Amino acid sequence: MIRRSRPFLCIAGVVLVCAPLWAHHAFEAEYDRNQPVTMTGTVTLMEWMNPHIYFFIDVEDDSGNVTNWAVEGGAPNGLYRRGWRKDSLKPGDEVVVDGWLARDGSNSLNSSTVVRSSDNLRLFAGTSNREADN
Amino acid sequence: MKVFTTVAAFLSLVLLAGCSTPSSDTQVADEAVHPDLRGLWAGGARDIGAMMEEIGQPIPFTDFGRERWENVDLALNPNGYCLPPGPQRAITGPSPFLIVQTDDVIAFLHENHGMYRPIYMDGRGHPDDILDYPQFRGHSIGSWEGDTLVVDTIAIDERTWLDSYGLEHSLGLHLVERFRLSDPDTLEYSVTFEDPEFYREPWTLTIDLERQIGTRLIEYVCSENERDLVRLRSTEAR
Repeated sequence: MIRRSRPFLCIAGVVLVCAPLWAHHAFEAEYDRNQPVTMTGTVTLMEWMNPHIYFFIDVEDDSGNVTNWAVEGGAPNGLYRRGWRKDSLKPGDEVVVDGWLARDGSNSLNSSTVVRSSDNLRLFAGTSNREADN
Repeated sequence: MKVFTTVAAFLSLVLLAGCSTPSSDTQVADEAVHPDLRGLWAGGARDIGAMMEEIGQPIPFTDFGRERWENVDLALNPNGYCLPPGPQRAITGPSPFLIVQTDDVIAFLHENHGMYRPIYMDGRGHPDDILDYPQFRGHSIGSWEGDTLVVDTIAIDERTWLDSYGLEHSLGLHLVERFRLSDPDTLEYSVTFEDPEFYREPWTLTIDLERQIGTRLIEYVCSENERDLVRLRSTEAR
């Protein structure tokens, strides 16, 4: 499920500290801060690599069509220090992702937070958007 | 700091009392009076343009510098192309760095882009031809002023930016950085930017860097899985 969302607030009790991490590129050159989005999907792949982690999710729309989305997070070093591990998200996990759509119209987004549905574990994904609420 | 001052004063007395002290002993004493900066330190984790705004000290652009800043295309951020940061950005950025300290050289081992930076402490100057051979990290020489390490850097490749948001500089950029332990776990970092082409007067940023305990340098290889470059789009003027 995809829905456009208002910018979120990190709330007390989040698992990890919520502050922008480093990106090797400028957020504005790749993502659109005016297109915040919330997606619910199923993890298909985790790439725990530099310069950013990527995980991929299958998202089903209201018509039952499934598309695969690439979700960008921070760099592994910063995320590791905040508690992420490479197996924090596994294929098959259902997640709710907050983030911003890519400017080029591809199925990709920069993520700010990820909630693992099975246990409501809330992970700060290390957005490079310095205007994200935090 | 008080403890350090007391220790330094004691060691100075020892040196003065021992005028016939062999040079090797003197060397040991000299080493001891310099603060020990070794260890893993956090980066500043902020963009310096934003930090200067916060403290109410606008960056003193020249007309040329302001025109460049207002029209810079953020898609051209050199780090986006996996080029390394300049010497100051490697510190004011978010990644930690390890300080290795000897008499003759102090080395900064940066997690960001795996950059390393030698600070020559042996009294040498900058090479005469260094501006013909600029480096992303520049060329740095250092000295001690009391309890402060002062680092002088020139010949910084003009492709580097000072932060992620388009603060550029010329090859004429001259950095003077000052490092001082304000307490055992806090490194006060001050950097003065002098570049008459982009900035009409020198300007200074001072931040505290925290000692990092319970973590380690983690490898960062930018080109490992770079997926962003093909999606970058030019940004509009500010």
